[in-house]
Amino acid sequence: MSLDFSVLLRFQEALALGLWTTIKLTLICIVLGCSLGFLVGLARTAPSVIVRGIASVYVEFFRGTPVLIQLFWIFFCLPLILGVELSNLASGVIALTLYVGAITSETFRASLKSVGREQMDACIALGLPRRVQVTNVILPQAVLRAVPTLLSNCVSLFKESALVSAVGMADLMFVGQNISNNTARPVEVLTIVALIYFAIAFPLTRAVTLVEGRILKKLAI
Amino acid sequence: MNYTFDFNAVSLGPLIEGLIVTLELTVAANLIGVILGFPLALLIMSRFAVIRWPATLFVEFFRCTPAIVQIVWFFYCVPMLFNVFLGSMTMGILALGLNLMAFNAEAYRAAIQAVPREQLDAGIALGLNPFQRVFHIVLPNALRASIPVLLTNGIVIFQQSALVAIVAVQDLMYQAKTLATETYRPIETFTIAALIYFAVSFPVSQVVGWLERRRQILTS
Repeated sequence: MSLDFSVLLRFQEALALGLWTTIKLTLICIVLGCSLGFLVGLARTAPSVIVRGIASVYVEFFRGTPVLIQLFWIFFCLPLILGVELSNLASGVIALTLYVGAITSETFRASLKSVGREQMDACIALGLPRRVQVTNVILPQAVLRAVPTLLSNCVSLFKESALVSAVGMADLMFVGQNISNNTARPVEVLTIVALIYFAIAFPLTRAVTLVEGRILKKLAI
Repeated sequence: MNYTFDFNAVSLGPLIEGLIVTLELTVAANLIGVILGFPLALLIMSRFAVIRWPATLFVEFFRCTPAIVQIVWFFYCVPMLFNVFLGSMTMGILALGLNLMAFNAEAYRAAIQAVPREQLDAGIALGLNPFQRVFHIVLPNALRASIPVLLTNGIVIFQQSALVAIVAVQDLMYQAKTLATETYRPIETFTIAALIYFAVSFPVSQVVGWLERRRQILTS
């Protein structure tokens, strides 16, 4: 068979729009998801058993089921339960935010745990009030340690965001599949779509490695 | 909310059938990934750039593109490009297996690099040849160290296998979708399907957590 990549030139704008939707969705979910993850991470170390229990069930459930089924559940079931229409952007954002919240909460929890016990003891020895202990000693170190893993969580999210095409949101993957169906040239179109994803995710993963090296050096561990 | 739940409307039969297909996909993909991931890890660590570069490109490509794109690409493009027509199950296994191979290769690489330098030096001092050093020193050490990551990757593939539903492999996700449209009971169907996925992956992830804790105690 002969390949003809020039067909794609006609669809530049559509692909760019799709890519923009993907990026927009990723960014929104990163901001919302990381905030949620941080709160849930704290909740999982809370003294109250009920708070800890709810947070754990949420995290384990979202980590233990496929994102696709989460997305379908939110897309089909949430409108029935709430009795309101949800746009596919809204359900995409809700589903991916809940997913990112679950995975980043684990990242935050691990980094909170990695701040040594001796730091806490030092705080007590210095007679620092509880608020200062948390905001000036524990948090800065924990967040710094969490950064590399959070960045790779964000790259995963960028890739997982392609799933929203399955519920009809016009992201890069959806646009790509539409073009490939209309032009009957799946090889060219899908390859280019894959390359676009790669062109964004690959430099990001390299950046994660770089940042990780810097932070490890800074923390001298 | 005025929705009345009716979990009886969901027949478990098709879901169980789907689960079996999902498990078959998972096991087959894991066999490919666990076995072929190791030689791939050796390739990406090769001294020769001609070997290292293509292997690295392969791994990075699978790690940096969405799994759904890979699966759709496989289903549409492999038959057209190579003129081979395989069953949808075989295609699904191949796509998931290659994806897992790339992720496992990274896990093996990290584990191999974590094998202490002194152990290899000791191997040289004992006069073991490179082949013996790999088989008797690197391999046992690295395999043990990589088990938690391999298991985690295995669960991830179990979850990612839901994506083959999009290309009409009749796995758990596909059966759930069909059932939801047939019965008009999406909430019940998707909830049960999600619980089935959870029931399989949660115990495995608990085992991973236990292995990691045990390893930390052993190494500290």
